[in-house]
Amino acid sequence: MNDEALLSVRDLRTTFGSSLTAVDGVSFDVRRGQALAIVGESGSGKSVTMRSVMGILPRTARITGGQAYFGGRDLLAIGDKELRKIRGREIAMVFQSAMEAMNPTLTLERQLTEHLIWHGLCNKAEARKRAVRALGDVGIPDPEKRIRTYPFQLSGGMRQRAMIAMAMVTEPDLLIADEPTTAVDVTVQRQILDLLKGLKDRGTGVIMITHDLGVARYFCDDAVVMYAGRVVERAPMASLLDDPRHPYTVGLLGSSVEVGGRELALRPIPGSPPDLSRRPVGCAFHPRCPRAELPRCQTEQEILTIGPDRDAACWKVTVDA
Amino acid sequence: MPDELVRAESVTKVFRTRAGEVRAVDDVSLTVHRGETLGLVGESGSGKSTVARLMMGLQPCTSGRVVFDGNDLGQLPARELRVLRPRMQMVFQNPYGSLLPHFSAIGNVMEPLRLHERGDKASRRTRALELLDLVGINTHNAELYPRQFSGGQQQRIAIARALALEPDLLVCDEPTSSLDVSIQAQILELFTDLRNRLGLSMLFISHNLAVVERLADRVAVMNKGQVVEESPTETLFRAPQDPYTRQLLSAVLPVRAE
Repeated sequence: MNDEALLSVRDLRTTFGSSLTAVDGVSFDVRRGQALAIVGESGSGKSVTMRSVMGILPRTARITGGQAYFGGRDLLAIGDKELRKIRGREIAMVFQSAMEAMNPTLTLERQLTEHLIWHGLCNKAEARKRAVRALGDVGIPDPEKRIRTYPFQLSGGMRQRAMIAMAMVTEPDLLIADEPTTAVDVTVQRQILDLLKGLKDRGTGVIMITHDLGVARYFCDDAVVMYAGRVVERAPMASLLDDPRHPYTVGLLGSSVEVGGRELALRPIPGSPPDLSRRPVGCAFHPRCPRAELPRCQTEQEILTIGPDRDAACWKVTVDA
Repeated sequence: MPDELVRAESVTKVFRTRAGEVRAVDDVSLTVHRGETLGLVGESGSGKSTVARLMMGLQPCTSGRVVFDGNDLGQLPARELRVLRPRMQMVFQNPYGSLLPHFSAIGNVMEPLRLHERGDKASRRTRALELLDLVGINTHNAELYPRQFSGGQQQRIAIARALALEPDLLVCDEPTSSLDVSIQAQILELFTDLRNRLGLSMLFISHNLAVVERLADRVAVMNKGQVVEESPTETLFRAPQDPYTRQLLSAVLPVRAE
Protein backbone atom coordinates (compact mmCIF):
# COMPACT_ATOMS: atom_id res chain seq x y z
CA MET A 1 0.00 0.00 0.00
CA ASN A 2 1.16 3.44 -0.85
CA ASP A 3 1.70 5.32 2.38
CA GLU A 4 1.75 8.71 0.74
CA ALA A 5 -1.26 10.93 1.28
CA LEU A 6 -3.94 10.80 -1.38
CA LEU A 7 -5.42 14.07 -0.21
CA SER A 8 -3.54 16.43 1.99
CA VAL A 9 -5.39 19.45 3.35
CA ARG A 10 -3.31 22.19 4.96
CA ASP A 11 -4.49 25.20 6.98
CA LEU A 12 -7.78 25.46 5.14
CA ARG A 13 -9.70 28.60 5.94
CA THR A 14 -13.19 29.34 4.59
CA THR A 15 -15.10 32.51 5.33
CA PHE A 16 -18.75 33.40 4.82
CA GLY A 17 -19.54 37.03 4.09
CA SER A 18 -16.97 39.40 5.45
CA SER A 19 -16.19 37.92 8.84
CA LEU A 20 -17.76 34.56 9.62
CA THR A 21 -14.94 32.02 9.58
CA ALA A 22 -16.59 28.61 9.30
CA VAL A 23 -13.36 26.68 8.77
CA ASP A 24 -10.32 28.02 10.53
CA GLY A 25 -6.97 26.41 9.79
CA VAL A 26 -7.98 22.79 9.24
CA SER A 27 -5.36 20.20 8.25
CA PHE A 28 -5.59 16.44 7.66
CA ASP A 29 -4.37 13.66 5.38
CA VAL A 30 -6.10 10.66 3.80
CA ARG A 31 -4.24 7.71 2.33
CA ARG A 32 -5.36 5.11 -0.21
CA GLY A 33 -7.56 2.48 1.40
CA GLN A 34 -7.92 4.55 4.54
CA ALA A 35 -11.19 5.79 5.97
CA LEU A 36 -11.01 9.03 7.89
CA ALA A 37 -13.93 10.18 10.00
CA ILE A 38 -14.59 13.86 10.41
CA VAL A 39 -16.65 14.03 13.56
CA GLY A 40 -18.43 17.01 15.05
CA GLU A 41 -21.80 18.59 15.70
CA SER A 42 -23.77 20.80 13.34
CA GLY A 43 -21.97 24.04 12.68
CA SER A 44 -18.55 22.57 13.45
CA GLY A 45 -17.45 23.06 9.85
CA LYS A 46 -17.27 19.42 8.73
CA SER A 47 -19.34 19.85 5.60
CA VAL A 48 -17.91 23.26 4.71
CA THR A 49 -14.43 21.72 4.90
CA MET A 50 -15.30 19.08 2.32
CA ARG A 51 -17.27 21.46 0.14
CA SER A 52 -14.27 23.77 0.08
CA VAL A 53 -12.05 20.94 -1.12
CA MET A 54 -14.56 19.96 -3.80
CA GLY A 55 -15.14 23.52 -4.93
CA ILE A 56 -18.89 23.34 -4.34
CA LEU A 57 -19.30 26.10 -1.77
CA PRO A 58 -22.30 28.41 -1.79
CA ARG A 59 -21.67 31.79 -3.43
CA THR A 60 -21.42 33.67 -0.15
CA ALA A 61 -18.42 31.59 0.93
CA ARG A 62 -14.80 32.23 0.05
CA ILE A 63 -11.68 30.17 0.63
CA THR A 64 -9.26 32.58 2.28
CA GLY A 65 -6.31 30.31 2.88
CA GLY A 66 -4.72 26.90 2.70
CA GLN A 67 -3.97 24.12 0.24
CA ALA A 68 -5.54 20.78 -0.66
CA TYR A 69 -3.06 18.57 -2.49
CA PHE A 70 -4.49 15.75 -4.55
CA GLY A 71 -2.33 13.89 -7.04
CA GLY A 72 0.24 16.70 -7.11
CA ARG A 73 -2.30 19.47 -7.72
CA ASP A 74 -3.66 22.01 -5.26
CA LEU A 75 -7.43 21.68 -5.62
CA LEU A 76 -7.94 25.10 -4.10
CA ALA A 77 -5.80 26.76 -6.78
CA ILE A 78 -6.52 24.98 -10.06
CA GLY A 79 -9.85 26.62 -10.81
CA ASP A 80 -13.27 25.29 -11.65
CA LYS A 81 -12.48 24.04 -15.14
CA GLU A 82 -9.77 21.72 -13.90
CA LEU A 83 -11.80 20.74 -10.84
CA ARG A 84 -14.61 19.56 -13.08
CA LYS A 85 -12.26 17.03 -14.64
CA ILE A 86 -11.54 15.62 -11.19
CA ARG A 87 -14.96 15.78 -9.61
CA GLY A 88 -17.09 12.73 -10.32
CA ARG A 89 -14.12 10.93 -11.81
CA GLU A 90 -11.22 10.87 -9.37
CA ILE A 91 -13.15 12.23 -6.42
CA ALA A 92 -16.78 11.26 -5.90
CA MET A 93 -19.29 12.29 -3.30
CA VAL A 94 -22.14 10.59 -1.49
CA PHE A 95 -24.63 12.74 0.38
CA GLN A 96 -27.10 12.31 3.22
CA SER A 97 -30.14 12.60 1.02
CA ALA A 98 -30.15 10.82 -2.32
CA MET A 99 -33.44 12.52 -3.12
CA GLU A 100 -31.67 15.87 -3.08
CA ALA A 101 -28.40 14.68 -4.59
CA MET A 102 -29.99 13.03 -7.62
CA ASN A 103 -31.85 14.67 -10.43
CA PRO A 104 -35.52 13.75 -10.04
CA THR A 105 -36.24 14.20 -13.75
CA LEU A 106 -33.61 11.81 -15.07
CA THR A 107 -33.57 8.02 -15.07
CA LEU A 108 -30.87 6.18 -13.17
CA GLU A 109 -29.31 5.33 -16.53
CA ARG A 110 -28.77 8.97 -17.43
CA GLN A 111 -27.39 9.76 -14.01
CA LEU A 112 -25.10 6.77 -13.76
CA THR A 113 -23.66 7.05 -17.25
CA GLU A 114 -23.29 10.82 -17.23
CA HIS A 115 -19.90 10.91 -15.50
CA LEU A 116 -18.51 8.11 -17.65
CA ILE A 117 -19.55 9.77 -20.89
CA TRP A 118 -18.77 13.35 -19.86
CA HIS A 119 -15.30 12.41 -18.69
CA GLY A 120 -14.82 10.46 -21.93
CA LEU A 121 -14.08 7.24 -20.08
CA CYS A 122 -16.09 5.09 -22.46
CA ASN A 123 -18.83 5.12 -25.09
CA LYS A 124 -22.52 5.02 -24.37
CA ALA A 125 -23.02 1.28 -24.71
CA GLU A 126 -20.06 0.51 -22.47
CA ALA A 127 -21.23 3.16 -19.97
CA ARG A 128 -24.61 1.48 -19.77
CA LYS A 129 -22.98 -1.88 -19.14
CA ARG A 130 -20.86 -0.43 -16.37
CA ALA A 131 -23.84 1.36 -14.83
CA VAL A 132 -25.87 -1.86 -14.75
CA ARG A 133 -22.94 -3.65 -13.14
CA ALA A 134 -22.56 -0.88 -10.54
CA LEU A 135 -26.26 -1.11 -9.64
CA GLY A 136 -25.92 -4.86 -9.28
CA ASP A 137 -22.80 -4.40 -7.13
CA VAL A 138 -24.68 -2.26 -4.63
CA GLY A 139 -27.36 -4.92 -4.30
CA ILE A 140 -30.14 -3.45 -6.39
CA PRO A 141 -32.17 -6.40 -7.65
CA ASP A 142 -32.86 -6.67 -11.37
CA PRO A 143 -30.50 -3.83 -12.36
CA GLU A 144 -31.23 -4.17 -16.10
CA LYS A 145 -34.81 -3.17 -15.41
CA ARG A 146 -34.20 -0.75 -12.53
CA ILE A 147 -31.79 1.37 -14.54
CA ARG A 148 -34.78 2.69 -16.48
CA THR A 149 -36.55 3.97 -13.34
CA TYR A 150 -36.52 7.43 -11.76
CA PRO A 151 -35.18 8.11 -8.25
CA PHE A 152 -38.65 8.64 -6.78
CA GLN A 153 -39.64 5.14 -7.82
CA LEU A 154 -37.12 3.64 -5.41
CA SER A 155 -37.36 3.22 -1.65
CA GLY A 156 -35.08 5.35 0.54
CA GLY A 157 -32.59 2.54 1.04
CA MET A 158 -32.48 1.65 -2.66
CA ARG A 159 -32.05 5.30 -3.61
CA GLN A 160 -29.10 5.57 -1.24
CA ARG A 161 -27.60 2.51 -2.93
CA ALA A 162 -28.17 3.99 -6.36
CA MET A 163 -26.32 7.15 -5.28
CA ILE A 164 -23.42 5.03 -4.08
CA ALA A 165 -23.45 3.19 -7.41
CA MET A 166 -23.31 6.60 -9.10
CA ALA A 167 -20.25 7.48 -7.04
CA MET A 168 -18.57 4.11 -7.61
CA VAL A 169 -19.09 3.79 -11.33
CA THR A 170 -16.00 5.82 -12.27
CA GLU A 171 -13.86 3.95 -9.73
CA PRO A 172 -12.75 7.10 -7.92
CA ASP A 173 -9.53 7.33 -5.91
CA LEU A 174 -11.25 9.30 -3.18
CA LEU A 175 -14.80 9.14 -1.93
CA ILE A 176 -16.27 11.83 0.27
CA ALA A 177 -19.32 10.60 2.14
CA ASP A 178 -21.31 13.26 3.98
CA GLU A 179 -23.57 11.55 6.56
CA PRO A 180 -24.27 8.70 4.11
CA THR A 181 -26.42 6.67 6.50
CA THR A 182 -28.10 9.36 8.60
CA ALA A 183 -31.33 9.19 6.64
CA VAL A 184 -31.62 5.41 6.38
CA ASP A 185 -32.93 2.85 8.84
CA VAL A 186 -30.52 0.95 11.09
CA THR A 187 -31.03 -2.33 9.32
CA VAL A 188 -30.05 -0.69 6.01
CA GLN A 189 -27.23 1.29 7.58
CA ARG A 190 -24.88 -1.63 7.99
CA GLN A 191 -25.50 -2.80 4.40
CA ILE A 192 -24.61 0.65 3.08
CA LEU A 193 -21.47 0.78 5.20
CA ASP A 194 -20.44 -2.68 4.03
CA LEU A 195 -20.84 -1.53 0.43
CA LEU A 196 -18.55 1.39 1.12
CA LYS A 197 -16.13 -0.98 2.84
CA GLY A 198 -15.82 -2.93 -0.39
CA LEU A 199 -14.73 0.26 -2.12
CA LYS A 200 -12.19 1.00 0.60
CA ASP A 201 -10.77 -2.51 0.33
CA ARG A 202 -10.14 -1.88 -3.36
CA GLY A 203 -7.93 1.07 -2.41
CA THR A 204 -10.29 4.02 -2.48
CA GLY A 205 -9.59 6.55 0.26
CA VAL A 206 -12.75 7.57 2.09
CA ILE A 207 -13.54 10.66 4.10
CA MET A 208 -16.69 10.15 6.10
CA ILE A 209 -18.41 13.11 7.67
CA THR A 210 -20.58 11.89 10.50
CA HIS A 211 -22.00 12.81 13.87
CA ASP A 212 -22.68 9.14 14.62
CA LEU A 213 -19.81 7.74 16.63
CA GLY A 214 -21.05 4.14 16.21
CA VAL A 215 -20.91 4.50 12.43
CA ALA A 216 -17.48 6.10 12.67
CA ARG A 217 -16.17 3.26 14.82
CA TYR A 218 -17.55 0.59 12.51
CA PHE A 219 -16.23 2.09 9.30
CA CYS A 220 -13.30 4.39 9.92
CA ASP A 221 -9.64 3.85 10.73
CA ASP A 222 -8.86 7.32 12.00
CA ALA A 223 -10.73 10.37 13.15
CA VAL A 224 -10.54 14.11 13.22
CA VAL A 225 -12.81 15.89 15.72
CA MET A 226 -13.94 19.39 14.78
CA TYR A 227 -15.39 22.08 16.98
CA ALA A 228 -16.30 25.61 15.87
CA GLY A 229 -14.35 25.32 12.63
CA ARG A 230 -11.15 23.88 14.05
CA VAL A 231 -9.62 20.48 14.59
CA VAL A 232 -9.54 19.80 18.33
CA GLU A 233 -8.38 16.19 18.32
CA ARG A 234 -6.93 13.66 15.90
CA ALA A 235 -6.44 9.96 16.68
CA PRO A 236 -6.87 6.39 15.49
CA MET A 237 -10.62 5.69 15.68
CA ALA A 238 -10.69 3.14 18.50
CA SER A 239 -8.21 5.09 20.64
CA LEU A 240 -10.30 8.21 20.25
CA LEU A 241 -13.47 6.53 21.49
CA ASP A 242 -11.93 4.34 24.19
CA ASP A 243 -9.62 7.00 25.51
CA PRO A 244 -10.79 10.49 24.46
CA ARG A 245 -8.41 13.22 25.57
CA HIS A 246 -9.72 16.61 24.47
CA PRO A 247 -12.47 17.77 26.89
CA TYR A 248 -14.85 18.26 23.93
CA THR A 249 -14.33 14.67 22.76
CA VAL A 250 -14.80 13.51 26.35
CA GLY A 251 -18.06 15.49 26.40
CA LEU A 252 -19.24 13.96 23.11
CA LEU A 253 -18.68 10.48 24.49
CA GLY A 254 -20.42 11.43 27.74
CA SER A 255 -23.41 12.60 25.69
CA SER A 256 -23.70 9.47 23.55
CA VAL A 257 -26.43 7.09 24.49
CA GLU A 258 -26.12 3.52 23.43
CA VAL A 259 -27.99 0.30 23.76
CA GLY A 260 -27.02 -1.48 26.96
CA GLY A 261 -25.92 1.81 28.48
CA ARG A 262 -29.09 2.43 30.51
CA GLU A 263 -27.16 2.38 33.78
CA LEU A 264 -24.40 4.59 32.44
CA ALA A 265 -24.91 8.15 33.70
CA LEU A 266 -25.23 10.74 30.96
CA ARG A 267 -22.73 13.54 31.25
CA PRO A 268 -24.06 16.10 28.78
CA ILE A 269 -21.97 19.08 27.75
CA PRO A 270 -23.66 22.18 29.17
CA GLY A 271 -24.69 25.01 26.82
CA SER A 272 -24.63 24.88 23.04
CA PRO A 273 -21.99 25.33 20.32
CA PRO A 274 -20.95 28.95 19.77
CA ASP A 275 -22.32 31.29 17.19
CA LEU A 276 -19.35 31.52 14.81
CA SER A 277 -19.74 35.25 14.37
CA ARG A 278 -19.09 35.53 18.11
CA ARG A 279 -16.46 32.87 18.51
CA PRO A 280 -15.05 32.75 22.06
CA VAL A 281 -11.41 33.88 22.16
CA GLY A 282 -8.72 31.24 22.45
CA CYS A 283 -10.17 27.76 22.75
CA ALA A 284 -13.75 28.08 21.43
CA PHE A 285 -14.84 25.28 23.76
CA HIS A 286 -13.71 26.93 26.99
CA PRO A 287 -17.10 28.45 27.98
CA ARG A 288 -18.58 24.92 28.04
CA CYS A 289 -15.49 23.11 29.27
CA PRO A 290 -15.54 21.56 32.76
CA ARG A 291 -11.74 21.76 32.91
CA ALA A 292 -11.34 25.31 31.66
CA GLU A 293 -8.86 27.51 33.48
CA LEU A 294 -8.76 31.19 32.72
CA PRO A 295 -6.94 33.06 31.40
CA ARG A 296 -4.85 30.33 29.83
CA CYS A 297 -7.79 28.82 27.90
CA GLN A 298 -8.52 32.25 26.41
CA THR A 299 -5.27 32.08 24.48
CA GLU A 300 -4.92 30.28 21.14
CA GLN A 301 -4.43 26.53 21.63
CA GLU A 302 -1.81 24.88 19.49
CA ILE A 303 -2.28 21.35 18.24
CA LEU A 304 -0.02 19.27 20.47
CA THR A 305 1.28 15.77 19.87
CA ILE A 306 0.00 13.73 22.78
CA GLY A 307 0.86 10.19 21.73
CA PRO A 308 1.60 7.98 18.73
CA ASP A 309 -0.60 9.31 15.89
CA ARG A 310 -2.48 11.48 18.35
CA ASP A 311 -2.85 15.25 18.60
CA ALA A 312 -5.09 17.49 20.62
CA ALA A 313 -5.56 21.24 20.80
CA CYS A 314 -5.69 21.62 24.58
CA TRP A 315 -2.90 22.37 27.03
CA LYS A 316 -4.62 20.36 29.76
CA VAL A 317 -4.75 16.98 28.02
CA THR A 318 -2.81 14.01 29.31
CA VAL A 319 0.20 13.26 27.18
CA ASP A 320 1.43 9.66 26.77
CA ALA A 321 4.65 9.07 28.70
CA MET B 1 -51.70 -3.32 37.65
CA PRO B 2 -51.39 0.45 37.78
CA ASP B 3 -54.14 2.73 36.58
CA GLU B 4 -54.58 2.81 32.83
CA LEU B 5 -54.65 6.19 31.12
CA VAL B 6 -55.02 5.48 27.45
CA ARG B 7 -55.65 2.24 25.64
CA ALA B 8 -55.65 1.39 21.95
CA GLU B 9 -57.80 -1.65 21.28
CA SER B 10 -57.07 -3.51 18.04
CA VAL B 11 -56.73 -0.27 16.11
CA THR B 12 -56.27 -0.40 12.38
CA LYS B 13 -55.68 2.51 10.04
CA VAL B 14 -55.99 2.14 6.31
CA PHE B 15 -55.04 5.02 4.04
CA ARG B 16 -56.49 5.10 0.57
CA THR B 17 -53.90 6.27 -1.94
CA ARG B 18 -53.71 6.26 -5.69
CA ALA B 19 -51.46 3.24 -5.49
CA GLY B 20 -54.12 1.39 -3.51
CA GLU B 21 -54.86 0.82 0.12
CA VAL B 22 -52.07 1.10 2.66
CA ARG B 23 -52.58 -0.63 5.97
CA ALA B 24 -50.39 1.74 8.04
CA VAL B 25 -51.49 0.34 11.40
CA ASP B 26 -52.74 -3.21 11.56
CA ASP B 27 -54.56 -4.48 14.64
CA VAL B 28 -52.43 -2.73 17.26
CA SER B 29 -53.27 -2.84 20.96
CA LEU B 30 -51.28 -0.72 23.39
CA THR B 31 -51.84 0.70 26.85
CA VAL B 32 -50.13 3.58 28.65
CA HIS B 33 -50.61 3.48 32.42
CA ARG B 34 -50.48 6.53 34.68
CA GLY B 35 -46.96 7.61 35.50
CA GLU B 36 -45.51 5.24 32.94
CA THR B 37 -43.41 5.78 29.83
CA LEU B 38 -44.19 3.45 26.97
CA GLY B 39 -41.50 3.40 24.30
CA LEU B 40 -42.48 2.72 20.71
CA VAL B 41 -39.66 1.79 18.34
CA GLY B 42 -39.53 0.83 14.70
CA GLU B 43 -38.08 1.90 11.38
CA SER B 44 -39.47 4.52 9.05
CA GLY B 45 -42.84 3.51 7.66
CA SER B 46 -43.53 1.05 10.45
CA GLY B 47 -46.59 3.02 11.57
CA LYS B 48 -45.24 4.59 14.79
CA SER B 49 -46.38 8.12 14.04
CA THR B 50 -49.78 6.97 12.83
CA VAL B 51 -50.25 5.15 16.14
CA ALA B 52 -49.37 8.42 17.89
CA ARG B 53 -51.99 10.36 15.93
CA LEU B 54 -54.62 7.68 16.53
CA MET B 55 -53.91 7.65 20.26
CA MET B 56 -54.18 11.44 20.34
CA GLY B 57 -57.51 11.21 18.56
CA LEU B 58 -56.15 13.37 15.74
CA GLN B 59 -57.26 10.85 13.15
CA PRO B 60 -60.12 8.37 13.29
CA CYS B 61 -59.30 4.67 13.37
CA THR B 62 -60.49 2.57 10.44
CA SER B 63 -61.43 -0.06 13.00
CA GLY B 64 -60.81 -0.63 16.69
CA ARG B 65 -60.96 2.12 19.29
CA VAL B 66 -58.89 4.38 21.50
CA VAL B 67 -60.05 4.87 25.07
CA PHE B 68 -58.62 7.81 26.99
CA ASP B 69 -59.42 7.76 30.70
CA GLY B 70 -62.64 5.88 30.07
CA ASN B 71 -63.73 7.91 27.01
CA ASP B 72 -63.89 6.33 23.56
CA LEU B 73 -62.31 9.06 21.41
CA GLY B 74 -64.16 7.89 18.30
CA GLN B 75 -67.58 8.13 19.92
CA LEU B 76 -67.11 11.41 21.75
CA PRO B 77 -68.95 14.50 20.43
CA ALA B 78 -66.61 17.26 19.26
CA ARG B 79 -67.40 19.48 22.23
CA GLU B 80 -66.45 16.85 24.77
CA LEU B 81 -63.36 15.91 22.79
CA ARG B 82 -62.28 19.55 23.06
CA VAL B 83 -62.50 19.31 26.85
CA LEU B 84 -60.28 16.24 26.73
CA ARG B 85 -57.69 17.74 24.35
CA PRO B 86 -55.65 19.72 26.90
CA ARG B 87 -55.06 16.50 28.80
CA MET B 88 -53.00 15.07 25.95
CA GLN B 89 -50.19 16.99 24.29
CA MET B 90 -47.51 16.29 21.73
CA VAL B 91 -43.84 17.08 21.24
CA PHE B 92 -42.55 16.72 17.68
CA GLN B 93 -39.24 16.09 15.95
CA ASN B 94 -38.94 19.55 14.46
CA PRO B 95 -39.30 22.10 17.26
CA TYR B 96 -39.23 25.12 14.97
CA GLY B 97 -42.15 23.72 13.01
CA SER B 98 -44.18 23.24 16.17
CA LEU B 99 -43.70 26.79 17.52
CA LEU B 100 -45.46 29.94 16.34
CA PRO B 101 -42.69 31.93 14.62
CA HIS B 102 -44.33 35.31 15.19
CA PHE B 103 -44.86 34.68 18.91
CA SER B 104 -42.07 35.13 21.46
CA ALA B 105 -40.97 32.18 23.60
CA ILE B 106 -43.26 33.23 26.41
CA GLY B 107 -46.06 33.98 23.95
CA ASN B 108 -45.78 30.44 22.63
CA VAL B 109 -46.15 28.99 26.10
CA MET B 110 -49.02 31.36 27.04
CA GLU B 111 -51.06 30.67 23.90
CA PRO B 112 -52.47 27.25 24.90
CA LEU B 113 -53.43 28.73 28.28
CA ARG B 114 -55.27 31.57 26.54
CA LEU B 115 -57.05 29.24 24.11
CA HIS B 116 -58.29 27.11 26.96
CA GLU B 117 -59.15 30.21 29.03
CA ARG B 118 -56.92 29.43 31.96
CA GLY B 119 -56.50 32.31 34.42
CA ASP B 120 -55.99 35.95 33.42
CA LYS B 121 -53.19 37.42 31.40
CA ALA B 122 -50.98 38.13 34.41
CA SER B 123 -51.31 34.64 35.83
CA ARG B 124 -50.68 33.09 32.40
CA ARG B 125 -47.48 35.11 32.19
CA THR B 126 -46.37 33.94 35.61
CA ARG B 127 -47.16 30.33 34.73
CA ALA B 128 -45.33 30.56 31.38
CA LEU B 129 -42.24 31.96 33.09
CA GLU B 130 -42.31 29.10 35.59
CA LEU B 131 -42.55 26.61 32.75
CA LEU B 132 -39.70 28.17 30.79
CA ASP B 133 -37.60 28.02 33.93
CA LEU B 134 -38.64 24.39 34.47
CA VAL B 135 -37.35 23.35 31.04
CA GLY B 136 -34.12 25.31 31.46
CA ILE B 137 -34.76 28.42 29.38
CA ASN B 138 -33.27 31.53 30.96
CA THR B 139 -36.32 33.70 31.66
CA HIS B 140 -34.34 36.78 30.61
CA ASN B 141 -34.73 35.42 27.07
CA ALA B 142 -38.50 34.92 27.35
CA GLU B 143 -39.27 37.75 24.93
CA LEU B 144 -37.03 36.44 22.15
CA TYR B 145 -38.54 34.75 19.09
CA PRO B 146 -38.13 31.05 18.26
CA ARG B 147 -35.61 31.65 15.47
CA GLN B 148 -33.33 33.41 17.93
CA PHE B 149 -32.90 30.18 19.89
CA SER B 150 -30.82 27.12 19.02
CA GLY B 151 -32.56 23.87 18.05
CA GLY B 152 -32.15 22.42 21.52
CA GLN B 153 -33.59 25.52 23.16
CA GLN B 154 -36.48 25.53 20.68
CA GLN B 155 -37.26 21.98 21.72
CA ARG B 156 -37.22 23.06 25.37
CA ILE B 157 -39.74 25.80 24.55
CA ALA B 158 -41.90 23.31 22.64
CA ILE B 159 -41.83 21.05 25.71
CA ALA B 160 -42.79 23.95 28.00
CA ARG B 161 -45.68 24.72 25.64
CA ALA B 162 -46.81 21.09 25.67
CA LEU B 163 -46.69 21.07 29.48
CA ALA B 164 -48.58 24.36 29.88
CA LEU B 165 -51.99 22.71 30.22
CA GLU B 166 -50.66 20.12 32.67
CA PRO B 167 -51.48 17.19 30.40
CA ASP B 168 -51.91 13.68 31.75
CA LEU B 169 -50.34 12.24 28.63
CA LEU B 170 -47.38 13.53 26.66
CA VAL B 171 -46.86 11.94 23.25
CA CYS B 172 -43.32 12.54 22.00
CA ASP B 173 -42.64 11.71 18.35
CA GLU B 174 -38.86 11.54 17.76
CA PRO B 175 -38.26 14.55 20.04
CA THR B 176 -34.47 14.29 19.98
CA SER B 177 -33.90 13.05 16.43
CA SER B 178 -33.05 16.40 14.89
CA LEU B 179 -30.71 17.42 17.71
CA ASP B 180 -26.96 17.05 18.03
CA VAL B 181 -25.73 14.40 20.47
CA SER B 182 -24.68 16.87 23.15
CA ILE B 183 -28.08 18.57 22.97
CA GLN B 184 -29.93 15.26 22.73
CA ALA B 185 -28.30 14.26 26.04
CA GLN B 186 -29.53 17.48 27.65
CA ILE B 187 -33.11 16.94 26.44
CA LEU B 188 -33.07 13.32 27.62
CA GLU B 189 -32.02 14.51 31.06
CA LEU B 190 -34.86 17.03 30.94
CA PHE B 191 -37.43 14.31 30.13
CA THR B 192 -36.10 12.10 32.94
CA ASP B 193 -36.29 15.02 35.34
CA LEU B 194 -39.82 16.03 34.25
CA ARG B 195 -41.06 12.48 34.52
CA ASN B 196 -39.73 12.15 38.05
CA ARG B 197 -40.94 15.57 39.16
CA LEU B 198 -44.35 15.71 37.47
CA GLY B 199 -45.20 12.02 37.30
CA LEU B 200 -45.86 12.36 33.56
CA SER B 201 -47.25 9.53 31.48
CA MET B 202 -45.55 9.36 28.11
CA LEU B 203 -45.77 7.61 24.82
CA PHE B 204 -42.22 8.03 23.57
CA ILE B 205 -41.63 7.26 19.91
CA SER B 206 -38.17 6.91 18.46
CA HIS B 207 -36.18 4.97 15.92
CA ASN B 208 -33.24 5.28 18.31
CA LEU B 209 -33.17 2.18 20.49
CA ALA B 210 -30.68 3.62 22.96
CA VAL B 211 -32.85 6.66 23.62
CA VAL B 212 -35.92 4.50 24.23
CA GLU B 213 -33.98 2.10 26.45
CA ARG B 214 -33.02 5.02 28.64
CA LEU B 215 -36.48 6.53 29.07
CA ALA B 216 -39.08 3.80 28.75
CA ASP B 217 -40.50 1.48 31.38
CA ARG B 218 -41.95 -0.76 28.70
CA VAL B 219 -41.17 -0.97 24.99
CA ALA B 220 -43.29 -1.99 22.02
CA VAL B 221 -41.59 -2.78 18.71
CA MET B 222 -43.43 -2.06 15.46
CA ASN B 223 -42.78 -3.52 12.06
CA LYS B 224 -44.99 -3.09 8.98
CA GLY B 225 -47.91 -1.70 10.95
CA GLN B 226 -47.93 -4.37 13.64
CA VAL B 227 -46.57 -4.60 17.16
CA VAL B 228 -44.25 -7.59 16.98
CA GLU B 229 -43.11 -7.53 20.58
CA GLU B 230 -43.89 -5.72 23.79
CA SER B 231 -42.03 -6.19 27.07
CA PRO B 232 -40.59 -4.39 30.07
CA THR B 233 -37.57 -2.45 28.80
CA GLU B 234 -34.98 -4.56 30.53
CA THR B 235 -36.44 -7.82 29.26
CA LEU B 236 -36.75 -6.57 25.71
CA PHE B 237 -33.15 -5.47 25.48
CA ARG B 238 -31.72 -8.44 27.39
CA ALA B 239 -33.78 -11.21 25.84
CA PRO B 240 -35.53 -10.07 22.66
CA GLN B 241 -37.99 -12.72 21.49
CA ASP B 242 -39.16 -11.64 18.06
CA PRO B 243 -36.75 -12.14 15.13
CA TYR B 244 -37.36 -8.57 13.97
CA THR B 245 -36.46 -7.14 17.39
CA ARG B 246 -33.29 -9.20 17.32
CA GLN B 247 -32.49 -7.94 13.86
CA LEU B 248 -32.95 -4.34 15.01
CA LEU B 249 -30.77 -4.84 18.07
CA SER B 250 -28.02 -6.60 16.15
CA ALA B 251 -27.88 -3.73 13.64
CA VAL B 252 -26.84 -1.26 16.34
CA LEU B 253 -23.23 -0.16 15.99
CA PRO B 254 -21.57 0.25 19.39
CA VAL B 255 -19.60 3.39 20.21
CA ARG B 256 -17.64 2.07 23.16
CA ALA B 257 -15.50 -1.06 23.22
CA GLU B 258 -17.55 -4.06 24.37
